[in-house]
Amino acid sequence: MILLSLKKGFDEKNFNKIIENLENQIGKNKVSKKISDLLSYSYDYWPISLHWILEKNFHFKPSAIIWPTTKEDVKKVIQICSKEKIPVYPFGGGTGVLGALSPEKKGIIIDLKKIRNIKINSENLLVECGAGVNGHYLESYLNSKGLILRNIPQSLYPSTVGGWVGTKATGQFSTRYGGIEQMVAGLEIVVPPGKILTLKPQPRTSTGPDLRHFFIGSEGTLGIITKIWLKIWPKPEKCIKLAFVSETIKEAIDSVKNIMQTGARPAVVRIYDKIETKRHFYKYEEVYGHVSTVIIIEGNSKIVDAEIKIIKEKFQGKQINEDIVEHWLKTRFNVKEASEFVPMGVVFDTIEVAVGWDKAIYLYENVIKSMKQIKGVIFASAHASHFYPQGICFYFTFAGIPPRGEKAVDFYNKVWKAAMDSTVESGGTISHHHGIGRQKMPWLKDEIGSEGLDLLRKLKKCMDEKDIMNPGNMGV
Amino acid sequence: MPEKFDWLKDEMKDFKTLSKLPIILKFLKGRVKGPDDITKCTLCPNMCRNACPVGIVDGSETTSPSGKSKIGFLLRENVLEKNKENVFPLYMCLSCGCCEKYCPFDFSVSDILRPIKTNAVDKGIIQDELKEVLKNLEKYGYPYGKLKTNEKAESKIKNKKQKILYLSGCSFRENFPGVILKALKLFEKLGHNVEIISEEKCCGIPAYHIGDMKTFKKLAKENTKIINDFNPEIIVTSCPSCTYSYKNLYRESGFEINAPVFHITEFLKDNISDFKMKSGKNMDFTFHDPCKLVHGLKQPNIFSEFLEKILNNDVKKPWRNGENTFCCGYGGSSICRINPKLGDEIAYERLKELADFSNNIITTCPSCKLAFENAKKTIDKEVNIYDIIEFIDLLSDK
Repeated sequence: MILLSLKKGFDEKNFNKIIENLENQIGKNKVSKKISDLLSYSYDYWPISLHWILEKNFHFKPSAIIWPTTKEDVKKVIQICSKEKIPVYPFGGGTGVLGALSPEKKGIIIDLKKIRNIKINSENLLVECGAGVNGHYLESYLNSKGLILRNIPQSLYPSTVGGWVGTKATGQFSTRYGGIEQMVAGLEIVVPPGKILTLKPQPRTSTGPDLRHFFIGSEGTLGIITKIWLKIWPKPEKCIKLAFVSETIKEAIDSVKNIMQTGARPAVVRIYDKIETKRHFYKYEEVYGHVSTVIIIEGNSKIVDAEIKIIKEKFQGKQINEDIVEHWLKTRFNVKEASEFVPMGVVFDTIEVAVGWDKAIYLYENVIKSMKQIKGVIFASAHASHFYPQGICFYFTFAGIPPRGEKAVDFYNKVWKAAMDSTVESGGTISHHHGIGRQKMPWLKDEIGSEGLDLLRKLKKCMDEKDIMNPGNMGV
Repeated sequence: MPEKFDWLKDEMKDFKTLSKLPIILKFLKGRVKGPDDITKCTLCPNMCRNACPVGIVDGSETTSPSGKSKIGFLLRENVLEKNKENVFPLYMCLSCGCCEKYCPFDFSVSDILRPIKTNAVDKGIIQDELKEVLKNLEKYGYPYGKLKTNEKAESKIKNKKQKILYLSGCSFRENFPGVILKALKLFEKLGHNVEIISEEKCCGIPAYHIGDMKTFKKLAKENTKIINDFNPEIIVTSCPSCTYSYKNLYRESGFEINAPVFHITEFLKDNISDFKMKSGKNMDFTFHDPCKLVHGLKQPNIFSEFLEKILNNDVKKPWRNGENTFCCGYGGSSICRINPKLGDEIAYERLKELADFSNNIITTCPSCKLAFENAKKTIDKEVNIYDIIEFIDLLSDK
């Protein structure tokens, strides 16, 4: 939940000199203080910031932008920024939706998109890539070599691999292939006050606490990820699409629970509630007004055949033809509604949470009800998009118009509070794959307790003594 | 069948008191237009970044596709002062149209930005390197300076199959005049009566890309008259940007070329059916689809289909081809002049990728050839770059 009082920035007295020094160290063409660049890096894709852009309000403006091309460049920047106590914010594709990349204390944005080398080890099924490699570029490149990664977030086209790791992202095919944390085999990170840490890729390692997990999901608060080794797969031999229609969301959820608990792992499973079915599949009368489920199974053909059998046996709904799966595949990256409705004053967001099977229906109903109680909310809906033997991720969407006299940001925060409080009350986790950022920050304590938050803060202080790494983010 | 937003209209029934609802309902019913294109592009999280060579190679938010729109929006809204430095990012566009494929609104960022550029040009806010081009176009009708004539390339062929007007384009004349002679030889071999304009002027597309619509329209008017006075049966160009300009942009600006205009690839596809490779020339090839042929002329597969037809299995399809092509870095008339380093970086990236498939690379655009000829000095592999005309000249048995 954002407070719009601009936080005090760092001491900018000697900033020009520091920038000159940086330019000398890494090259003038890698540094900019141009106003067009500063405004371009003021926000990530935090939905409330779309309103601020239209209002021409740039609450957070960095002081400079740097585009390193090597880890040594990053090291030099961190060394200088540590010495001079200048805040640093790593930037990937800028598609985070929780304001994690808001340079609230000014400082330097380090855009990693120029570090983008790719090296495949097809024997070990590993790919080594620079943090700035574009997600879609990586997947297409691997596909051209007969391989896949299959981390397919909705932001696949604009996002970067470094961003995926930094936010602990996951993608549409996660039910089979896992989240990014399961794909990461090794990491290279530049940590304050300017050291390079390499955690080599191994099939498994029993060498104390897993340091990789300090950085996966750290959202730029502990260091800057410069290189990632990811686990890859051969292209699937067989791919089958299935679709079902159910009368209630409970019926569909119970079906998927039973499937997941047999050990079957469909790549994609998405259950749309009645509103979302109408929204996404309005052309398909068979599902309109009902609950729809989209399933994709892929991999080795013998395993796929067995999984199809299990799914057909366990699913308690009517199987329909695969048209809605094809439709989903064609439209799954469509985010045009934000561009159409935000200028008309509509405030919207998506909120992804996870919960165990036993509380799934309760959480779904509780969160929808809580959001709808806020005056101005036009609709609140959800689909379930990632599944585990233990539980489920719900992806809620709300949209509304602030009542007369209420600011967009205040309305936005009210709906968020309703959604987060009801998630906590229902026993869910406040974040499944978007991270924490600045929007979910107030509820991190509810999630990990004051002891957990205190430990995170101590870790941050220990690793980033001068608090230069994305200060203020996550509340650590 | 329900309409797209019926579900939302249902959800909105209980909210009639909210102030902004009437306008939203009108929008849902299609009675009012939504936000304008630049606003929509500004609010997009760059869903076409993956396809944009500048977005990928430059790696900056400012020059990313929706980043440029955001700069255009901020200039239009007077948040950014209109000056050369702030307008600069708008010119970091190759006008390749690669973004369009991924845009849910089918936008081309180049089209969205043009009115903002035109406004800047009208106010005299022009990058110095581009001023020179516009001055040359205005004065000589040729972007590089004094007009280079086609005199040495006069055709002697008369009264054959068709009266073809061949327009070589400025880039071939300036950088690879030999290709023009080979083109004429090819037309002759194919039995056509070809004519050329010795004082062929630029089609005007550089002015169009820069946003100088006055200069573009002046050239369009002059060229339309000259070309129509020739009264050809068909027009063939070697440069896909010229074809696009004569065929699409002139019409949009109210100038009509009477004869049909074809790019050389379109012409060859219909006129060569029995290509035979010279003996001893068993080479493999890959190819580069020029963006203006793919996205401008909407012919994503014509080049590969033609090559496959005449080369059978000797053509190796690159990873990014057809509508997924990656611009050579020299498109759009601006980047190669005001940020040549970036243009060369993009060319290097594309050439390196193509060289993984074959050492022999065929393209069908003079700008692509120029980009790769420059980039080949920087890659660690010996490669040969052929325009389609050179390729046929080199390898045809006829």
